[in-house]
Formats: sequence, C-alpha cells, structure tokens
Amino acid sequence: MLQSLVNGILLGGLYAIIGIGMSLVFGIMRLTNLAHGDLMILATYTTLTIVTSVTGNLWIAVAATILVMVALGFLIQNFLVNRVLDKGSEPALLVTFGVSIFISNFLLKVFGADNKIIQNSLASKNVISTEHLSISAMYLFSFLVGIAVILSLHYIMQKTYFGRSIRATSCDRMAAELNGVNTKRTFSYAMMVAMVTAAIAGVLVGSTFVFYPSSGTQYLIIAFGVVVIGGMGSLVGTLVGGIVLGVAQLMGGHIFGSAYQMLSGYIVLLLILAIRPNGLLSVGARK
Amino acid sequence: MKLKLLSKGTYGKPLCFLVIMALLVTLPYWSGEYVVSIMMLILLYMAMGQMWNLMAGYAGLLSLGMQAFIGIGGYSLAVFSTTYGLNIFVSILLGGIFSLIFAFFISPALFKMSGVYFAIGSWVVAESLLLWFSNWEFVRYAQGINITSAYQFDTVDLYYIALVVGVAAALVVYLLLRSKSGLALMAMRDNSSAAETLGIELYKTKLRCYLISSFMMGIIGGAMYLYQAYILPSAAFSIGWTVAVTFMVIIGGIGTMEGPIIGAVLYVLFNQYLYQFPGISMMILGVTAILIILVAPNGIMGTLHNKTGIEILSARRNVG
Repeated sequence: MLQSLVNGILLGGLYAIIGIGMSLVFGIMRLTNLAHGDLMILATYTTLTIVTSVTGNLWIAVAATILVMVALGFLIQNFLVNRVLDKGSEPALLVTFGVSIFISNFLLKVFGADNKIIQNSLASKNVISTEHLSISAMYLFSFLVGIAVILSLHYIMQKTYFGRSIRATSCDRMAAELNGVNTKRTFSYAMMVAMVTAAIAGVLVGSTFVFYPSSGTQYLIIAFGVVVIGGMGSLVGTLVGGIVLGVAQLMGGHIFGSAYQMLSGYIVLLLILAIRPNGLLSVGARK
Repeated sequence: MKLKLLSKGTYGKPLCFLVIMALLVTLPYWSGEYVVSIMMLILLYMAMGQMWNLMAGYAGLLSLGMQAFIGIGGYSLAVFSTTYGLNIFVSILLGGIFSLIFAFFISPALFKMSGVYFAIGSWVVAESLLLWFSNWEFVRYAQGINITSAYQFDTVDLYYIALVVGVAAALVVYLLLRSKSGLALMAMRDNSSAAETLGIELYKTKLRCYLISSFMMGIIGGAMYLYQAYILPSAAFSIGWTVAVTFMVIIGGIGTMEGPIIGAVLYVLFNQYLYQFPGISMMILGVTAILIILVAPNGIMGTLHNKTGIEILSARRNVG
C-alpha cells in the first residue's frame, strides 16, 4: 500500500513532464496536439538509435534528440499547424491526428513491432530498499527531473520576455499582436519548448518502461489525463494531475490486480472529467 | 450562379436514386465477386461515415471514440451467436441495443465535456473498454473469438446485409435531417448560441444524435465482424476505425451527406491500391489527410459546393 502510494507519487512526476508540453501548447494556442504521445515516442526511438549506432554516451544522445525534436516542432508548427489554426480548432486537431498516424506507422515500419528499452545504469538500482518500501532510482530520478522541468518552465513563463509574450498571446491574441508580439512566431517557439519537454519525457519513459511504436497512444491519453485533471494550461496543475493519475493507477493496480492498473487510471480520469469538466485546479470555465 | 445537378424537374432526383438502388440490388448478378466484396466494404464504411458525420458534422460532437460501439457490436455478434447460439440477426440487433444502452449511461458524463474534451473523453472510454475486454474471461481475454456462425454466409449474402445496413444508415441521417430536429441540428452546426436562443434544446438534440449514431454503429460493428469472422479486443476497439472514418468524412466533406459517400468510395479504393505497399499504407493515409486539410479544409464536397453550389443529396427543402 505504502509502496504503491510512493511509487504513484514518483510516477506522477514523470507523467507531469509527459503532460506539460501538451498543456503549454493548449494553453497558448487552444490546440490539442494529438501527436504529442507519438512525438514523445519518436524522441525515445531517436535517443535509442543514437545511443546504439552513433555514440554510446546517453547524455550526448539526449542533447542530440532535443535538437532534432526542436527542429521537428518548428517544422510541424510552421508548415502545418500555423496554416490551419485560423480555420477553427477542428482542422488543426485533425492535422495533428494525421501527424500522429504518420509517426506511429513510420516507427512501426522502421523499427518493427518488438518492444525496446533504453539501457541505463539507474534502471536496476534502488535508492531505498527495505522490506516494506523500496524506491527505484529511475523513478526518483524521473520525479526530480519532472520537478526541475516544471520549475524552470515556471521561471521562464514568469520572468522572461519570451514567457510574457507566451502568456500575453494566450490571454488575448489580438491585444498581444497590437503590442508587437508576433503571435505566429510565439506559437512556433511554444511548440519548440513543448518538444524539448517531449524529448526529455521520451527519454525518461524509454529508460523506465519498455516501449513499442504504438505506445504513443497510451502516453497521449496519460498526457491528456494529466492536463485535464490539472486544468489545461496550468503548470502547477500539471504536477498535481500527474500525481493524481500516477497514484490512481498504482493504487488501482494494488487493489484490483496489475491487469487493471491502466483501467483504474482511465476511470479516475473519466470521473474527474465528469465531475469537474474543466479540471481540478482550473479557475472558472476556460473554453 | 447556382447549378442544380440532377434536379431538373420533379422526377429527376427520385428516378436517379431508383436507378442507383436498382444497380446496387442487382450488382451480384452482373459483376464479379471482387467487385461485390469491394462494394460491401464501401457500404459499411459509408454507413460508419454517415454516423460519425451526423455527430461531428451536424451535432458538433467530434468523437474519437466511435470504435467503442464497433467493438460492442462485434462482440455482441460473437458472444450471442457463437456462445449462446442465438440467431445472427438477433445478435447484431442486440449489439445495437447494447451500444445504445452503453451510450445512454455514459452520456451524462461525456456531455459535460465539450470540444476537445469530448473528443478525448470519448477516446478514453473506448480505451477503457479495450482494457476491460482484454481482461474479461467471458470474452476469452485478449485471445479473441472465432465467429463460427458467420461461416454460413457467402460474399453475396454479406453484400446484401451491408446494403441493408448502408442504405438504412443513409436513410436515417437523411430523414433525421429533413425532420424538425434536422433543422435544429443544422442551426446548431451553423451557430450554436443563436440556435439555443431560438429555443433549440442543445443537450436533447445532441443526445438524440449520439444515441442514434451509437445504435447504428453497434449494428455496423456487427455487420463488419460478420465479414471479418474473427474478433480481437485490440482490433475491435482500435482507434483505427476512427482514423478511417475521420479520413473518409474529412476528404469527402464534413457536414454534408455526400461527403461520407464520396469519402467511403475513395477510402476503400485507395486502401485496395495501398495493399501493394504494405507497411507504408497508413503513412500515406496520414499524409493524404494532412494535405487535404491544408488544401481543402471543407473536403471535396464542401469545396465543390462553395465554388459551384452543387448539392446532390440536399437535406434542404426546396421552396417553389
């Protein structure tokens, strides 16, 4: 019980990074990026490929992956999403759906359907290992990285010109443009930041769990769950959402058996959505 | 300048539909088995497209979870007709009824969400069903069920079943749109707050659409699995159904009745063609969908209609 609770909280940190990119994109351009999970898994495969065939150093591979994902984020935003964003939310949603289908099938074609994992030194270690409680080093590391990413994003959003332009655009796009913010460029920057978080999340997920080309769907739902529970566009809410979902899954798995782990997470998500359709921490209705 | 196609005089349109229906009914007598099986798929996908379009194009309910009902329909067919030995058509009908009941029970929760929340909420419901069925002994977990009762049908039988389902789906949508709730639906599609101000009960109208589509989707799922004859949770509740249906309606034209028909024809033929490229067919599908949204966000029919005013299957009333 205690074990599930602790692991659930730690897992929540990882879930928060999975969701934060989606939350950022939704907060600023009201776009649900249905390709978020697949982009994240794409980052996982990119890291894996660089580690196994270019350099053995995981850190270099992570840095390279982040660069690749940022470039990809820029391309997707500039050439696909920005073009349809003015035509209402549905075309943009469907464009990201198309990207999602493309990426997952591309991964299937290139890497095959077998499960993979990124080898690392933390995966098999335990920080604490007693009879009642053991804490995996990887879980703890993911949690700490999650907190660090959220804190630094929070700082960027509050203290820098870039963050202010993002917040201004998300509050009132017209007013932001009148004040000299190039909102389409801001959208691109936001997508690039989201891709940095997706790359980091992808590497952490790939080092913690096995993954398949089709894993994107599962993580998209987790990202969505995190964002919805926490309230779309709220950074602190993302962490709360991650922890709620992580604890719900592991406690559900503990009580009903591990087969029902994901299912209990989904059901808690649906319940929260039904009771508070705008998220736990949302301030009023944001449409 | 508005062109009115196929509507010269009062008799042009009904005559045209009679000819098309006659061709469809007699198809197995004058064409090969391959054409019949392709037409069967087109009819089933068209039916799915009509139902998804009814929700997304008219009621403003963009659902990514219609595979929930395909799965329920398929599993009802499998369980009732093979395990309990019930009549096949009764089993398919039960699939529709179970879909309806399920839709009714989740609707209070789902309908609190709007827009993207609804889209993904409905997807999470479908994913939950996938997980539930994969862990349910009653449906043999994730091992799947052979629908042995479906073996008695040949391609021609399956084609006629698909024809009934397809025509029923199109007819349901057509009649619904021509009725009073159709007017309400179109008013909602064009401007939901204006529609509400004029006294349209948004919730009730949306719920009616959702229940009708769910019921029909369950039936279509049954018919589809009569053809597949083997059901797996991961395939029956796969997001792939929604991918297909979204693709069809988008390229055909969302919010039009012709859209799903054109979309289904293109999708099935395109898919047959893509069989030559195993592995990359879905990638090509994704890219095509993106390109079409970039070039013609209203789909083929929408763009045609905007440019020329052509409407083939108009749900509008003609005055005078």
